[in-house]
Amino acid sequence: MTDIATRPTDAVSPPPRGRRRPRLDGGGPRAGTIVAFLTPFFLPFVLFYLVPVGYALWQSFRVVRRSGGQYGTSYTTFGGFEQYVEVFQNDEFWASIGRIGLFGIVQVPVMLFTALVMALLLDTHLLKLKGFFRTAAFMPYAVPGVIAAIMWSYLYSPQLSPVVDLLNGIGLKPDFLGPGAVLWSAANVSTWLWTGYNMLIMFSALQSIPQELYEAARIDGAGNWAIAWRIKVPIIAPSIVMTTVFSIIGTLQLYSEPAVLRQISSNISSTFTPNMLAYTVAVGNNYQQAAAISVVIAVITFVLSFGFMRLTSKRAGL
Amino acid sequence: MSSTVTRIRLAVVTAAAGVLVLAGCSSSDSSGESSAASCEPAKGKVTLQYWNTVNGMDKVVDLWNKDHPGIQVESKNISNDQYGAIGNALKAGKAPDLAQVGYDQLPTLRSQDAFVDASACKSAAGTESKFVPWTWSQAGFGGEGVYALPQDTGPMAMYVRTDIFKKYDVPIPTTWDEYTTAAEKLHKADPKLTMTFFDPNNAEWFNGLLWQNNANMYSYSDDKWHVTVESDKSRQVAEYWQKLIDDKLVRTDLANGSTQMFAAYQNDQMATQLGAAWGYTGIRDNLPDQAGKWSIVPMPTWGAGGNSGDWGGSTVAFMKGGKHLYEAAEFNTWLNTDPEALALANEVGGLYPASTDGLKLPALAKGVPYYNNEKIFDVFAESSKKVDTDFGWGPTQKTVNLALQDAMAKAVAGDGKLTDALAAAQSSALKSMDDLAIPATAGK
Repeated sequence: MTDIATRPTDAVSPPPRGRRRPRLDGGGPRAGTIVAFLTPFFLPFVLFYLVPVGYALWQSFRVVRRSGGQYGTSYTTFGGFEQYVEVFQNDEFWASIGRIGLFGIVQVPVMLFTALVMALLLDTHLLKLKGFFRTAAFMPYAVPGVIAAIMWSYLYSPQLSPVVDLLNGIGLKPDFLGPGAVLWSAANVSTWLWTGYNMLIMFSALQSIPQELYEAARIDGAGNWAIAWRIKVPIIAPSIVMTTVFSIIGTLQLYSEPAVLRQISSNISSTFTPNMLAYTVAVGNNYQQAAAISVVIAVITFVLSFGFMRLTSKRAGL
Repeated sequence: MSSTVTRIRLAVVTAAAGVLVLAGCSSSDSSGESSAASCEPAKGKVTLQYWNTVNGMDKVVDLWNKDHPGIQVESKNISNDQYGAIGNALKAGKAPDLAQVGYDQLPTLRSQDAFVDASACKSAAGTESKFVPWTWSQAGFGGEGVYALPQDTGPMAMYVRTDIFKKYDVPIPTTWDEYTTAAEKLHKADPKLTMTFFDPNNAEWFNGLLWQNNANMYSYSDDKWHVTVESDKSRQVAEYWQKLIDDKLVRTDLANGSTQMFAAYQNDQMATQLGAAWGYTGIRDNLPDQAGKWSIVPMPTWGAGGNSGDWGGSTVAFMKGGKHLYEAAEFNTWLNTDPEALALANEVGGLYPASTDGLKLPALAKGVPYYNNEKIFDVFAESSKKVDTDFGWGPTQKTVNLALQDAMAKAVAGDGKLTDALAAAQSSALKSMDDLAIPATAGK
């Protein structure tokens, strides 16, 4: 590193490029400084991002072989795309993707629309006790996902839930954990957890809109509705896109809510979501297959989230 | 801020991959049949790692540590993710000296080369006669080699609400036919009352019922595993329970050991539980109001004088990676055969010993106040004697159990039958073994 810093090119003064900030040391940019600033990012990035991805990729191209005996001697060897072929032929995998797709198509719009309406309400002058509502709405996000799921599992449980008792009392017979409903019960937990978080991102974006814009709009005769839908929403569109991308990723990563509800409902299989399938396969010692599943999930996530981002940024001219 | 968040989120995308890395730092995946390791005492003081899932086991370990300054044992509770923790430690080459392993998971771990053979250690190898025979044959995979010592067992019995049977004047059943008849009578007398529950998410329990019916799921010959998860014997059990489910004589919405299950018992909605020896504390501690109302009787049998089943129970296995086999064998033998150790393990952890001396513990000869001072352990001891000693497990049991559970849940939800679940488990067994390059074929 030091030899980079003392490269002869360092002595050559760089061509002037616009306004330059005065330097404290008066010298050129030192490689040591650059490294010092970048290390805190790159070290964990390499360690916790590139290495795991690389390792998963490597594992996904391997297969187990074995020689001799009842328990045999096992070793892994290069297997080409064998693991991927198996992923693509696995009905359970596609069923889990389908389930998650259905979940996302319903849950993400419901959650983001609710978050947007809440953010807009918080941003009006109509609402009192804003600080309280803002904190209250954000509060669920502070609850760890597993705890939230456990909490909700009590509310869903026919044996223990006051909610179910109440609904039974008025003649409704809800079965929150039944085969048709359990996906939506999990969706409800996610929505409860994340709406406040998304609302806060949208609300922060709303806060940065200059007040003059509203004054101008009012002079032009715009009411609260018009200001909300014609001015506020278009301006915070980038935040909405961002929260959508987060939500798409979050949906594909879905694990803890269904995994917790699984404890009390037999209608969630061990392969309910793609991540649960990957875990189940890994628990069965088939690490190579689990790696391939993980890689496929990552690719699908990448394609969907970036696809959505490109699509919307073109439309919205962002 | 947003880009940081995005980056964090993107890192989360590969979380699954990350888990795999942490799980598998060691890339040397080769494993082999372990030959008997040498067994020499170490020079100087030794500290052993012992992983278990039993609450209070640290107290038993303290007892040992007090008297054995040269062999200190550190106990770690891994009940949160028992086999995940063991599997990851093995992959990372950081397995403890000793770990608690359920009988049904022994072949799985053996095929991952998880164990060392301690048959060179006299203290361990000489204990065969001290254990209930079927536990020894399971721990030793029916052959030579000492990979694990049996610790506790789960001989099954029927927990009965005698007050309910008395109230409706229904005799307590002794065979499965009588069990159905009693279920019908009780349900007819009170539509809110069912005989018991069928937990589709509990393959271990269902396997206990298969075990009772000699529905042996695996055998090995001609260099192949022969998979008979689906057989006439297992279908008989599945069809029996299917009928109870179809006739709504058992509930299917409760998970074993859950708060919901205890609530149903608390509300007098169920009359029996088909449980294991280690389950007596669960009922006692969660249903204190019902003291005196419960009895423990032999599980209903297939015909007169039939077998009993076993649900759960564990061994303490000699794990690969332990460097002090001699000391590990000393401790393991003490832990599972010493009367004082067994008595404490029974007291603090509710363990029902696999050792024959353990079955004669004074604590097990006494009546249990909660159960009308009945000598409930006599029932379990009798049950233990009637467990099929030939029953064994496959090398991908966890996967098979999960497949069985998923399909049982479907059946319970009206999508297929329990016999379909057996078929699903059968094909899962064959496929998972094929994935791990373990030669297997269907049928005997």
